[in-house]
Amino acid sequence: MSLALEESDKQPRRKSRWGISGPLNAVGLWIDARTGFIGPIRSFLTYPVPKYVHQNLLYSLGGLSLISFLLQITSGMLLSFYYDPSPAEAYNSVDYVTYQVPLGWLMRGLHYYNASAIVILVALHLLRTFSFSAYKKPREITWLSGVLLLLVSLGFAFTGYLLPWDQKGYWATKVGIEIASSAPLVGEWVGRLMRGGPALGQATLTRFYVTHMLLLPAALVMLIGLHLHQLRYHGMAPSITKRGQALSDKFVPFFPHWVVVDATLGVIVLGLLIYLSWSQRAPLEFPADPTSTDFLPRPEWYFLFLFQLLKYFPGPLEPIATVLIPGLIIGSMLLLPFVDRSEERRPWRKPITTGVAVFYLVLIITLTLLALKAG
Amino acid sequence: MSKDNLPPLDPQKGSWDEEAISRRRFLEIGFWVATGAAGLVVGGAGTRFLVGDSLKPKPEQWVKVGEVADLLAGQVHKAIYTVRTYDAWREAEETGLIYCFSDDSAEYTVLDATCSHLGCNVHWQEETSKFACPCHNGAFTREGEVISGPPPAPLRRLQTKIENGVLLALV
Repeated sequence: MSLALEESDKQPRRKSRWGISGPLNAVGLWIDARTGFIGPIRSFLTYPVPKYVHQNLLYSLGGLSLISFLLQITSGMLLSFYYDPSPAEAYNSVDYVTYQVPLGWLMRGLHYYNASAIVILVALHLLRTFSFSAYKKPREITWLSGVLLLLVSLGFAFTGYLLPWDQKGYWATKVGIEIASSAPLVGEWVGRLMRGGPALGQATLTRFYVTHMLLLPAALVMLIGLHLHQLRYHGMAPSITKRGQALSDKFVPFFPHWVVVDATLGVIVLGLLIYLSWSQRAPLEFPADPTSTDFLPRPEWYFLFLFQLLKYFPGPLEPIATVLIPGLIIGSMLLLPFVDRSEERRPWRKPITTGVAVFYLVLIITLTLLALKAG
Repeated sequence: MSKDNLPPLDPQKGSWDEEAISRRRFLEIGFWVATGAAGLVVGGAGTRFLVGDSLKPKPEQWVKVGEVADLLAGQVHKAIYTVRTYDAWREAEETGLIYCFSDDSAEYTVLDATCSHLGCNVHWQEETSKFACPCHNGAFTREGEVISGPPPAPLRRLQTKIENGVLLALV
């Protein structure tokens, strides 16, 4: 490799193998000779994407999720320059960002609305993967890392909610921790650890802030790395349609053919988020007040189904709603590729797995609607 | 582990040091013992550090509910207390909500307003004579007993005492 590079160094006028000539080529050759990066980067960019994937926008949901994660990391880093993680000042710092810092409304709006966008995109991506049976052997790890990424996204949402230290965040977190505390045997202990003490306060805010800013981002980066590696290692799952199968021997390069589609859709999502941030400013309730009785705590829309479920399991039955049902849903998602091991990939030929998934979906949507209706 | 597990070296580059490789198994065991011990020390200390004071019981304090003369018999009174306390490393004012009532101005019942279900604050509804929780529609009697909804236990009843005409509760 190094000998070949030295040979090509002698012919700087020639167009390089990555299509650049002149000084840039020389820079590229220099970097490659020292780091060996150019080859893997080139191989990454020229990866052959099957045409049935390129022609189906549903396959862009994963790329869009990644773009949304990157946007969330960027806006989160910027917001952290102004955020003060103490119960006495957190609210004021968020208020300052929202109403006084130039374009603060935009940064906070992007972070706020993009959190919902991530949950929607990751959930749709998971649903697409499920419908196309892409979780089956040998892609179990890709599926598992995807499910964990959904859970990490929900973890981000839960820990980020408290940070403004307003009424909504305070009470939603109080209820959320109580839900964790209702788990049999270890619940009380888990709740104490989450709060960092007997009551919601400074230790809780610091714990949530560190989890939101350090632990979950580290988990996110590792899981995305694993997810993308597995995607490249196994390639795309075979198409389930005859039309797709007919196109499965035609390929386009990852860059620019597929990337441009994801990037265009990403710009549309960004535009939508900017519009939402501008037309409806990210909400900030009154400062947290532990003595208020008139504030009606409601979680964010993606946790509403759980909130509604709690109404149906009174007294000692409560752990059914707080632990058993969510555990069953998450557990069945994690176990799916190990349970459904048949060769069949068409959802209409797998009535049991499809039926269970439809049941979960109907359950979650119905409970969410009931919670919205109840106000 | 034998030499066979090692990738072949380009003869132009050199060869594996046979003598050093003969100690490989011993070195591997040493590596796992050393990293295991270090992991246990760092992991154990880190876990204890993270738990911190989380499991310590909350220090109890007597707080003022109100002047006995103002707490009329037969009525439910709402009181917001404030106490100086340490919130982790920060000295702070802790506020809380309690309810009090008495039938005869001799015996007082003081209840913590925290719903036993998921920790929301209950409010007193005069028209229905019950405590209602806004979160999941839990309802309690004036004595704090569960009437309906998901709460698994009554409202927490606080210890009380009267000092110099002031009703105090232990929170």
